[in-house]
Amino acid sequence: MNIDVDFVARLVNELSKMGFEDVAIEATIKDVVMTKIANSEVSVVQNWKGVTIDLYLAKEKRIFVLRFEPKSLEELYKPVETLLSLSRRIEESPIYAPLPEPSKITYREEVFDKGIHNNIDNIGKFAEMVIEAAHREKIDSVAGMLQMGETETVLATSKGALLEERKTFLQSYVRAFAEPDGSGQWCFTSTSLDTKELETMAFIASRYAVESRGRSEIEPGVYDVILSPMVFGNLLDYIVSMASAYWVIMGWSMFMKNRPGDRIASEHLTILDEPRNRELPSYRSFDDEALETFNKPIIESGTLKTFLHNTKTARLLGASSTANAGWISPRPWNIVVRPGDATLDEMVSEVRRGILVTNNWYTRLQNYVEGIFSTVARDAIFYIENGRIARPVTKIRIADKLSNILNNIEMVGRELYRIQWWEVSTPSKVPFVLVRNINISKHMM
Amino acid sequence: MLYALQIAGESGAKYAEARYHRLESQGMSSRNGVLISAYSEISEGIAIRVLVDGVLGFASTNNLSRDGVREAVQKAIARARTHRNVVKRPIELSEARLGRVKYSVNPLKKFSNIDFEEKIGLHKLFWNSVSNSVREAKVPVATLSYVEWVEEKIVANSDGAYVESSIPRISMDYNIVVYHPQKGYIQRARGLGASGGLEWLEKWNVVGAAADEVRKLEEILLTAVEPPKDSVPVVVGSEIVGLIVHESCGHPSEADRILGREAAQAGKSFIKPNMIGYRIGNENATVVDDPTIPGSYGFYLYDDEGVAARPRYLYKEGLINEFLHNRETAKTFGVESNAAARAMDYTSEPIVRMANTYLRPGDHKFEELLEDVKLGVYIKSYMEWNIDDERWSQRYVGLEAYLIEHGEPTKLVRNPVLELTTKSFYSSIDAVGKELRFYAGTCGKGEPMQGVPVWFGGPDVRLKSVRLGVAVQ
Repeated sequence: MNIDVDFVARLVNELSKMGFEDVAIEATIKDVVMTKIANSEVSVVQNWKGVTIDLYLAKEKRIFVLRFEPKSLEELYKPVETLLSLSRRIEESPIYAPLPEPSKITYREEVFDKGIHNNIDNIGKFAEMVIEAAHREKIDSVAGMLQMGETETVLATSKGALLEERKTFLQSYVRAFAEPDGSGQWCFTSTSLDTKELETMAFIASRYAVESRGRSEIEPGVYDVILSPMVFGNLLDYIVSMASAYWVIMGWSMFMKNRPGDRIASEHLTILDEPRNRELPSYRSFDDEALETFNKPIIESGTLKTFLHNTKTARLLGASSTANAGWISPRPWNIVVRPGDATLDEMVSEVRRGILVTNNWYTRLQNYVEGIFSTVARDAIFYIENGRIARPVTKIRIADKLSNILNNIEMVGRELYRIQWWEVSTPSKVPFVLVRNINISKHMM
Repeated sequence: MLYALQIAGESGAKYAEARYHRLESQGMSSRNGVLISAYSEISEGIAIRVLVDGVLGFASTNNLSRDGVREAVQKAIARARTHRNVVKRPIELSEARLGRVKYSVNPLKKFSNIDFEEKIGLHKLFWNSVSNSVREAKVPVATLSYVEWVEEKIVANSDGAYVESSIPRISMDYNIVVYHPQKGYIQRARGLGASGGLEWLEKWNVVGAAADEVRKLEEILLTAVEPPKDSVPVVVGSEIVGLIVHESCGHPSEADRILGREAAQAGKSFIKPNMIGYRIGNENATVVDDPTIPGSYGFYLYDDEGVAARPRYLYKEGLINEFLHNRETAKTFGVESNAAARAMDYTSEPIVRMANTYLRPGDHKFEELLEDVKLGVYIKSYMEWNIDDERWSQRYVGLEAYLIEHGEPTKLVRNPVLELTTKSFYSSIDAVGKELRFYAGTCGKGEPMQGVPVWFGGPDVRLKSVRLGVAVQ
């Protein structure tokens, strides 16, 4: 796999000559294979290979973003020429800022695992291993996904940046079923092939499936809740995305009411954006504006430290870029929660009347600014009584405000788990957390 | 296309399918009437599916040269073969009514009929209308996006299908936040979409509709009361009825879910393979999924396996009647495919999807649904919703909702929660409105996630007795 770097640089020059003051091109080539598993067998093997070219163009503060999969340069130039003619007929963008001078990338590391590269054509044997590992417990079937791939990204800007990075990734999740009603789900994400972690993932899902058989119902109400890394990871996916300054200005954020420096969470909570985390697949040494990335706290000991910025949102809100571009919208790279010192058993022992939720899905918000939401608890859910796990339960929702989740965190687990799956899009390292006094709902009829 | 099928056949594939899939879209988004950016996107490539040793292999490429296509086909076959030990039941495909046809949707008003400035002007009109429609409250943010796109496909397979299609679509989305210093924030997000062209702009009248919504949002913020605590009759507006039938009839009727193929993602289904004929509701519960509705967002005449589309009666007068099938699930169930295979783009495998799902209308005028209600609630719109992965326990939080007193809508109600099971909903409908209305959405499913355009709809319906909750404020 490789991209013609000179071609990308030439293209930037050509577009600059056409009259655009700001030009950035990001070319991405990928080779990815995914095995989908259902009923303990493969349901489909999917392969993706191709090049995508993303263009950022600005002329007289008018902004255009394009995505192409071009067969030829001519095909690419045609819509660009159309945009050029349009640029005089539209107004300046209120978020415009010139592309920054590229920062010197002081260190870059190759996050490229030969284990993945050499095994991408043999994914079948790893899928087989995951299925076998899950069935070491007394389960009936397993479903899930195993994906491996490599990507290469080239970024060139009209400010002279020409940067290249390649990396590998592996993602997997399994959901195990144990008759009559048990199920458990777990996931793993990485930049390298790690069969031991894949086996551990399968084992956790299967254990939860076995332990959650014989479910009963509980009454809705207010409970102390222990959120697993899967569940907390899902909620953080929403919460940290809302720390993007773009979502703040577009009215899609619970932080619309806040400024850096505000106390917004429990003092036990510190959340970081870690583009330089070598274990997590969104590792990047430069952002889409060619600024060097760096790890940073978003929430530190309960205080909002920064929104995530590119140069546009930074100019608009009087801040500095945090190297999280996105040309239009800044986004987190990898989310990491600073570990606490509690074990899961210690958390359970601190709960008189509560619930352990190991997985969730379908989080939706009534109001992003107020953070009013609900999410459906799924798979293994356990009622906790007087410091002990009492019994598996079913069919409940967490229905509260995201600010209550953040503020009511009382204990943070010491062990971090690597989480990314269908309901957690940003690679994350997340612990179990104990949250006090959270509203639980269920169907009324 | 045909070269891909030839290579696959020569390489030992029992079945091969090639889909040329091109999506070209243009759009723009604005905040408070000012354009943030304009964008343009072309997605174009070939998707290949092969059946090898009972394993289904998929590959896609945007390298449309013969070498590129050959590499994609061979990779699909080779990597599928490495999984032959992980197959218990070899995949087979059913017989089907395969098309050899070309069709297209012709918009009444082409996208080029109005110029760029006029489309930008719409954003300004929207903002002026929205920001001037509040009295005591303010609108800190109102965003609007506009997208026009054309989907072109050629589907060919080794069983003889050859279907060429072109479908233009248009969509608009807005997000409005209303704020009052003492009452806080309220928010409405809404999406509109259809196949066709600019004729939809007039029908939608986004500028007028959003102004009405903002006035109502302010009123909710300032005056809304809690819903009744006891069980009362609830009139569920068609916007929510459409979502309910999509979530609690369409999704659980997808045969691939029923067979467990989506078990680790979107989940399984409360419907088991032997539940055709099971009573899920009363005689008012008839739900149809129909890809062939002209102008619909989910419109198609042939699916992505080349099978001719038709309306599917999923629930019929309270009984589970028919599942949504592609050729793989149809073979397992011993039936014919009913053309539910759809793929988002060339990078996506075709999987079982809905198109346009709706509850069949009845004969009541809106006033007749309310007239016998002494105390009840009418929920017209929603923001938050979700459903469990079996599609049984679901929750909808009302946004615009009214108390019904002596047959009339009176005070506004804040954040009423309708949280009930699928069977409770379909068994509680005691009156059905006559006016069928549709709403647009992008339905998500699959791994990787595929979003496909759908309509969902229905009339207003009355539920005889419901205990409502209220969202945490």
